[in-house]
Amino acid sequence: MGGAFQIDRQRRLILFRIAKLPSAAGLLAALLLSAPAPAQEPEPAAKVIAIPPLATEKITDTDAGTTWGLANQIANLITADLKLSNKFIFADTQKVRIPSYPEVTAPAYPQWRSVSAKLLLTGFVNARSDGRLTIGCYLYDVQSGRELARQGFAVSTSEWRRAAHKCADMAYVKATGNAPMFDSRIAYVAESGNPDTLVKRLAVMDFDGANHTWLTSGDAIVLTPKWSPDGNSIAYTSFSEGIPQVRVAEVGSSADRPLLPGNSESFAPAFSPDGNTIVLSMSNGGNVDIFAVGSSGGFPRRLTTSPAIDTGPSYSPDGKSIAFISDRSGTPQVYVMDSDGSNQRRVSFGPGDYGSPVWSPNGDRIAFMRTEGTVSRIGVMAVNGAGERIITTGPNDAEPAWSPDGSQVLFQRIDPTSRRTMLAIVPAAGGDVKPVPTPQSGSDPNWAERQE
Amino acid sequence: MQFKPILAALLVIAGASAAQAQLRLPVIFPLGRSNAQPPAPPNAAVPGALTQGALIAAAGSDTVYFSANGATVDPTATATLAAQARWLLANPFATVRLEGHGGPNDSRDYALALGDRRANAVRDFLVLQGVAPTRITVMSWGKERPGKVLIGQTLVAAGPRVVTVVVPAPMPMPMQPAPAR
Repeated sequence: MGGAFQIDRQRRLILFRIAKLPSAAGLLAALLLSAPAPAQEPEPAAKVIAIPPLATEKITDTDAGTTWGLANQIANLITADLKLSNKFIFADTQKVRIPSYPEVTAPAYPQWRSVSAKLLLTGFVNARSDGRLTIGCYLYDVQSGRELARQGFAVSTSEWRRAAHKCADMAYVKATGNAPMFDSRIAYVAESGNPDTLVKRLAVMDFDGANHTWLTSGDAIVLTPKWSPDGNSIAYTSFSEGIPQVRVAEVGSSADRPLLPGNSESFAPAFSPDGNTIVLSMSNGGNVDIFAVGSSGGFPRRLTTSPAIDTGPSYSPDGKSIAFISDRSGTPQVYVMDSDGSNQRRVSFGPGDYGSPVWSPNGDRIAFMRTEGTVSRIGVMAVNGAGERIITTGPNDAEPAWSPDGSQVLFQRIDPTSRRTMLAIVPAAGGDVKPVPTPQSGSDPNWAERQE
Repeated sequence: MQFKPILAALLVIAGASAAQAQLRLPVIFPLGRSNAQPPAPPNAAVPGALTQGALIAAAGSDTVYFSANGATVDPTATATLAAQARWLLANPFATVRLEGHGGPNDSRDYALALGDRRANAVRDFLVLQGVAPTRITVMSWGKERPGKVLIGQTLVAAGPRVVTVVVPAPMPMPMQPAPAR
């Protein structure tokens, strides 16, 4: 990965719905396809899913290996994605025959019932004459013998992983009713060097660590990257001018600009859900308040006026409210206000200092960090402050970020043995913490579904 | 999600050609600017020189400390800052940058805000002592420069503090003659 801060300027994926199947498709399937996914209640119990290797019409050499090799790798990646969700149990596909190409659309249901599968995810990989790949995925209800969903993608050979993530998302959305989360990217700050002169660089990677790229050179300290809703730009705080100032970097090009003119300090940026506004903190003679600025610049509109510190703003997904941190009570606590600055009210009342509130994607919860003494942990509460629950053990857990579907919280922690700052993930309801590998130390994560 | 159900045949053809036309090579680009000049090194105290070393020699320290979450200038800090103010008044060409720091357990954003509040508290104190506001700039490092101090035999995190950094003044320019009309 070296020092090359390169970026694939355009990794467009051509996506299409399969209208013509390799063989005939059921009428019911077409019906299900045209209707949007109905809102489902998440199953409390995990579902048994069978994910055999995908099929290929003809084994063909491609830039990414043979189509048969890809068929296996894609099934493995889908399995790895779905494992992360803790919502599935995986049927032993070693015990049954690998589906042939025609069986992709006409599954041999009895053999899948024999391994107790409730769901079957199959598909195909074909090489196209233009050097690209066609990848199709199908989800079946094994008990009823119905097709539940299907999706198809035409991708370059270097982007088969995205198609696999999309297939995993299809099964995840159908089985849980959650929003998709696997075709997503994490922006974070890559750290290297010794603690007092850390080199910090803006970095972007797929949620599973693939396609890692750096966006800044490391000349200046950078902090708190936040995705724009369209995924094309990242607002962040940079010391490139010697003081903390909010800048906006375009992810697909080298464009990078200060959000505001002049030499005043600004930090803690966050996009509004429509992408038109960035909220941030600015200092006026020692009084740090929250302001709203057009995302392409303009005159900052003041939202808070208290003589205390107001910072760390985060929009609700409907854009109507903003959670933030204020120490007007004496210690930093979570507050919520309407997005025009009115109706400010305190919502956190637990012990210790609160920090970095982030509103959940479905709008019902706020994740935060809470510090008692020298121990910082991650917590989640309802937006009115009810039901507060600490979900990590610390001792240095900070800067939470939601997964795109709201089921997990990504955060930074200091590994107790190596003292490295690292990214980790925990279910939003609490549970096992898993490390999220990065090439170097990592901090200030932010996670978003890809939009293109 | 922007998957629109569209007739496949059309899209496959249109998509393939569009994608080929749009393939672009990765570009290498440096982002951001280089840092502002690092803090001036603590030079040996030269009488009359506008250096960090001269400030430290005259005032006893270039750093004052704060309690967690606090931005109140305590009696120890008051003594140090009063001495810094006397040095600044005795050296009217010296300018300073006040660098505020948050604590290691603060959230990222709150540490920046606290550093700023502390630097401004020091600024207000120096201004009250008669130092011209135009000679002072303030900035916050948040928790990005944790620092270490030697207490007894052990290095400990420096924590919440403000460092007064002497900024090399621009060379005085000779008076320019009025431009000819």
